Amino acid sequence: MSEMTTEKFETYAKNAGEPRWFTEKRSAAFDKAKELPMPSFQKIKYHRWPIQLEKELVFSKSELDENEKSVIDDSENLLIEFGQSTDTIKISEELKEKGVIVADLKAALTEHRDLFERYYMQKAVKVDENRLTAQHAAKVTSGALIYIPKNTIIEKPITTYFIQDATKAEDYVHHVLLIADSCSEVSYLENLLTVGNNETTANIIVEVIARPGSHVKFASFDRLGENTTTYLNRRGYLEQDAKIDWSMGMMNDGNIVGDFDSDLIGNGSHAEVKVVAITTGKQVQGIDTRVTNYGKHSIGHILQHGVILAKSSLIFNGIGHIIHGAKGADAQQESRVLMLSTKARGDANPILLIDDNDVSAGHAASVGRVNEEQLYYLMSRGLPKKLAERLVIRGFLGPVLTAVPSISVRKRLSDMIEEKLIDGQENE
Amino acid sequence: MSTLEIKDLHVTIEGKEILKGVNLTMKTGEIHAIMGPNGTGKSTLSESIMGNPAYKITQGDVLLDGESLLDKPVDERARLGLFLAMQYPAEIPGVTNAEFIRGAINARRPKEDPISIRKFLKELSKIMNFLDMTDEMAERYLNEGFSGGEKKRNEILQMMMIKPKFAILDEIDSGLDIDALKVVSKGVNEMRGSEFSALIITHYQRLLNYIVPDVVHVMMGGKIVKTGGPELAKKLEDEGYAGLRDELGLDIKLTDENA
Repeated sequence: MSEMTTEKFETYAKNAGEPRWFTEKRSAAFDKAKELPMPSFQKIKYHRWPIQLEKELVFSKSELDENEKSVIDDSENLLIEFGQSTDTIKISEELKEKGVIVADLKAALTEHRDLFERYYMQKAVKVDENRLTAQHAAKVTSGALIYIPKNTIIEKPITTYFIQDATKAEDYVHHVLLIADSCSEVSYLENLLTVGNNETTANIIVEVIARPGSHVKFASFDRLGENTTTYLNRRGYLEQDAKIDWSMGMMNDGNIVGDFDSDLIGNGSHAEVKVVAITTGKQVQGIDTRVTNYGKHSIGHILQHGVILAKSSLIFNGIGHIIHGAKGADAQQESRVLMLSTKARGDANPILLIDDNDVSAGHAASVGRVNEEQLYYLMSRGLPKKLAERLVIRGFLGPVLTAVPSISVRKRLSDMIEEKLIDGQENE
Repeated sequence: MSTLEIKDLHVTIEGKEILKGVNLTMKTGEIHAIMGPNGTGKSTLSESIMGNPAYKITQGDVLLDGESLLDKPVDERARLGLFLAMQYPAEIPGVTNAEFIRGAINARRPKEDPISIRKFLKELSKIMNFLDMTDEMAERYLNEGFSGGEKKRNEILQMMMIKPKFAILDEIDSGLDIDALKVVSKGVNEMRGSEFSALIITHYQRLLNYIVPDVVHVMMGGKIVKTGGPELAKKLEDEGYAGLRDELGLDIKLTDENA
């Protein structure tokens, strides 16, 4: 590493109050990044995008104004971060007593070092997996640690808002580490947003460690900005009998690679992945969703539906990989894409990789256009075309929405879909 | 009073001329019936009036109160007062019957003045009751999994809620048992009045025992070949389409005619 860079890292560490051990990790990752290849996803051609983290590491502060805060729904357990700054952290007394931790990156590094270090890019995502993960480790500037202790059942969800500050021309590099300890249960709602219009790069990694017997209901509402180019990696690491329900709404406005994996390590572990995506304008959303069955009798199900408007592109890869020895494993997937315009491009690409015989696996995929007969019927009752289209789309997305376990998440998702569709139709 | 006027209408589908100059004028307050053998263009006429983009009008016009509808899309025609009860209504999963009908009503009202949910539900419940429909039909997805009879009743429910000026009922009687037929007829008769007009398209005279039309038209070979009163329907029932054709000296092959 050049002295220049070392100096920048040290200046950053000083300003951010970062402990030495973490700065050393950064330096090592920075050197490694140069040698590592970019990750590769079938049919997703992102290599020309400004997706690599090339800006200097700089410490900065951001403050949300009242207007920007108006999009935030208050809740009992809430973490709001804007850019590199933390706006709000609060959890109920009950959760505090139970030993639940909700901390920002700085507190994670200083106050919860042992826990954080044990899991941070150790189990789920590895630093040296590819160039983007290594760049992430070198340049991460915000994030969160959420820890649910053993046998703790949390009734009220933990809600986070991670808001990229694109009023500044800086990279947004964010890391979330969620650990559900043995036999715990938690609902987690994550909101990714952008304020500002600068051309920026975001690199976001979310690691979910589901310890034996735990159950994580993970919901995300992603609406990153039009000028933000994003690598978004969400990875679950599931131990014995653990379960993760992923419900993800990809409503971003810019180019994005979604790299969603569930590693079914433990026997009897179970991941349900639901993805809804709306693609508008000229953007590309490439979504690569994988489940890997290592454990015996593990279950990995993928259900993803998406709608493409205007000149945009949406690619769904669904990958079910059953490793040799995963007897009785089950990998199922369904990816469907609906195109609303002749200029839209869509792909639904099923991939099954099966290295054991005693398993069950299946896939379904389709790319289609909106049903003219349905549209005509709705319009024949006086509904304007755009509204009729939105209703047909709602029907198309219905199977994913009804499969989302939480009613409030379902409601939030359908509101977001409506909002994104209206915006998208206006720009057509 | 409103007038719907069809003037010398020619329509082709996939290059084939189906309608060969249809003329028809209807005023609100009147119930018209169009009878005709299969394959004679009855459904083509109804879809063309409504504005189905699959049908191409090559000549003639459709006018509502003197204004041409031809350059208006289907949703605009609907908001101007046209309604088509379809022979094969589409199924729309994910959208409930009630919210669809409410959306259709609100599409006719100013954006800032939607119908109150309370008032809407009251009206909906009243009409569903009138049509012997169970309450759960309101919350089911639009036509999804509905039986043939349920779909037809649902078309009439929509008609009664939307209150169009001109309703075209395209073979609303096909596939209905006698009880369902009575219910559907009851709905149309309930709508009768100075602000409403219906064009009933049917293959059989039976329906016209329950909804007595003011005017009966007979269509053959893409044209209206005879117009008369309700007695014309009775005559057709007795003599058949072939009889009328021969009486008029028309050279038309009927598709369901035995060779």
